[in-house]
Amino acid sequence: MLFAGAALVAGAVIGACTSDEEQQQAQATEQQQQVEQQQQRAQPEAQVSGEPRGNTTQLVQDRGTLKCGVKQTQPLFGFRDDQGTVTGFDIEFCKAIAAAVLKDADAVEYVDASDASTRFELLADGQIDILIRTTTITSSRDMELDVDFAQTTFYTGQGFAVRKDSGINSTSDMANAAICVQTGTTTEQNVADHFTDIGLDYEPTGGLSQDVAAAFFEGRCDVLTADASDLASRIVVRDDADDYKILPQIISKEPLAPGVRDYDSDWKDVVNWVVHGLIRAEEIGITQANVAAMAADPPNTEVARLLGVPFGDGDVATLGFDVVDAQFIQRAIAAVGNYGEIYDREIGSAIERDCTLNALARPLPSEAVDCGPGEGGILYALPYR
Amino acid sequence: MSNLAQDGEKLDRNRMSAQAPVSSPSPGDGPTPTHSVPLFYRRGFRRLLQQGLYIAATALLFWYVYDALNLREFGFGFLDDPAAFKVGNQWLTDVDGVTSSRIEMYLVGVWSSLRVVFVAILLSTLVGVAVGVARLSSNWLVARLAMLYVEIFRNTPLLVQVVLVYAIFLVGAPIIQEVVIIGDFAFISNRGLAIPWPVPNDGLWGLPDWFVGVWVALLIAIGAVAMTVRRTRQNRERETGQPQFANRWAFGIFAVGALVTFIVLGLPVSIDRPYVEGTRYLEGMVIRPEFAALTIGLTLYTGAFNAEIVRGSIQALPTGQTEAANAIGLSGYQRLTLVILPQALRQMIPSITNQYLNVNKNSSLAYAVLYDDLFRVAGIIQNKAGHALEMFFVIIVTYMLISLVISALMNFINSRVTRVGV
Repeated sequence: MLFAGAALVAGAVIGACTSDEEQQQAQATEQQQQVEQQQQRAQPEAQVSGEPRGNTTQLVQDRGTLKCGVKQTQPLFGFRDDQGTVTGFDIEFCKAIAAAVLKDADAVEYVDASDASTRFELLADGQIDILIRTTTITSSRDMELDVDFAQTTFYTGQGFAVRKDSGINSTSDMANAAICVQTGTTTEQNVADHFTDIGLDYEPTGGLSQDVAAAFFEGRCDVLTADASDLASRIVVRDDADDYKILPQIISKEPLAPGVRDYDSDWKDVVNWVVHGLIRAEEIGITQANVAAMAADPPNTEVARLLGVPFGDGDVATLGFDVVDAQFIQRAIAAVGNYGEIYDREIGSAIERDCTLNALARPLPSEAVDCGPGEGGILYALPYR
Repeated sequence: MSNLAQDGEKLDRNRMSAQAPVSSPSPGDGPTPTHSVPLFYRRGFRRLLQQGLYIAATALLFWYVYDALNLREFGFGFLDDPAAFKVGNQWLTDVDGVTSSRIEMYLVGVWSSLRVVFVAILLSTLVGVAVGVARLSSNWLVARLAMLYVEIFRNTPLLVQVVLVYAIFLVGAPIIQEVVIIGDFAFISNRGLAIPWPVPNDGLWGLPDWFVGVWVALLIAIGAVAMTVRRTRQNRERETGQPQFANRWAFGIFAVGALVTFIVLGLPVSIDRPYVEGTRYLEGMVIRPEFAALTIGLTLYTGAFNAEIVRGSIQALPTGQTEAANAIGLSGYQRLTLVILPQALRQMIPSITNQYLNVNKNSSLAYAVLYDDLFRVAGIIQNKAGHALEMFFVIIVTYMLISLVISALMNFINSRVTRVGV
């Protein structure tokens, strides 16, 4: 604040002295802007709820790197290999956002947010700019915690993995079963709710996700419960993957979405529309391979708008995104490809996509067959819990 | 520009005046020196200023903390919300998480921690005394084995030991389908060790379960009687020199009393034998691998330190004590229990108290072995409700309370042991 005050005084002095010189006045304004930015940046510490605080987009651009809080222990979604390289489905979105905001998909610092219990604190404390870590949107997280959720990147639900020879085919076979549950997640609440509903008791063993998975594979528990995508990712990397199965029963909705800090709607908008942009790119056939050609010669106005290039002799449509330039989605697609390409590259081999919620809304609901009253749409209410 | 120039002029003028010769009165003709001391250098003013600054700084700090907490909506109301999760490793409690509140679930975690701390303190004391004495053994092998144990477990991190013991249980113990049965009453698998356990039952007279409490109360009363008899007999032995068999009397009274009341009350307790059905243990007592790993890890680690404390306390005694015990013809066991240990105990207790406090604090390593202790349960609540500041406040207060209780008990024991001066 002292520095900000000094800068303000300096700005005022310069402004007073050179009121007739346009150039120096502009300099003063620039300084004042810097002061404002510094004040804004200082604000996250104040933790004033209900007021806009911080401008993460600006913060990221000033810093030159994106601090992305990711899981490093879950194959396919966020995993650190022997060489220390972090890869996975979630990582692609970090790269896409870095490409969009910083024009460099590699300008990402991957911060370990593997521990579910502390991930929201990392975000609230400003140690990360964004949390992309298989995190479920829930009403209570949205309202109670200092987190805001952008567009869902992956729809899944809580499932159960068992040994094939266990004779368990649904939760009704799990009376008094030993169940390995990841703690600090929505998973433990879903399982508590579900077993109350079906009137059975169970014996939970809780811990960090990789620890409970290890315990399950050693036979400590009869059942491992987590998001179905999580279960698939843990089983597929094993040599004895054929000994296990994931029950078809799904007991919850788990929309996994990027989390940003509350009260920073510009930043949330950027994240939101990068995700939508990647999905829209798939819908209209823009790929990593053809994005450059498409940008050079857009076939129609929508492609031109999405890629931030003029159509014919027209102007570039900025769409009102003043915090990033018009080509931010073009860069994201160039860096990681469209949603479908990301899916196929990272998780397509392990998790079926066709006819799931993660496929495109095609055929369009109006063309779908055999729908009951009110069914066959793409309405998807977020979970109240 | 003009502003800056003016400032410069002012500065120059100030420098000029500072350089100007100042006529200072000579000490002789002015007022007395006490009056000439400027306000700032007067002792009273200085004190006032220092106190004032201190009070202002403290007030500012408190205001800052209050303000920060206020903004964070500091409060403990969230602990009354439904827990919505269930913790494992429950014993004597059955809290399902749906009907119970977060604070109840936290107390279940506290109870889990207390069990580990209690058992680990007990076992590490036994290990410490045994190994500490063994290190001083004249038997070369025993002394070296004891030393090896101490050096291994004292010089490796506790976390490594706990995780290692847990890994040995998980990987080393058979899976439940291949459970090892010991003598038809105990079972070992990586689901845990299942052993027979006493449970209250209706008994011959069809009394309700709580009647077992009456029997326990009677046992305590009989125990008290037995201890009184033991003390009177010990005193008489000391006065007359005639053997009075105090221990045998005490044990006999207790055994007969327990048996008689047990039969009179219609056998209110039966032993539950565990069995395996499918993949689960039913009945009996199941010691889970998580509990066992944490307790064994804490016991081995703390036991090594305790052994060194015991050894040091014994070695601190004058050798004359051992020689005197030998001279009056005491056996090795008598020498140890009647002469050496009672005196060494005075040295041990303060150091051992520290180790007990460490056991309490180190029990938070449950985090590494899937054991739902108070720290993990608090972490779950924090993840659901936020309020990290409040949760850590609760955690710290809980650990402090447990530590203070342990200290108080050990200080009491210490005051008993050191009551007689040497």
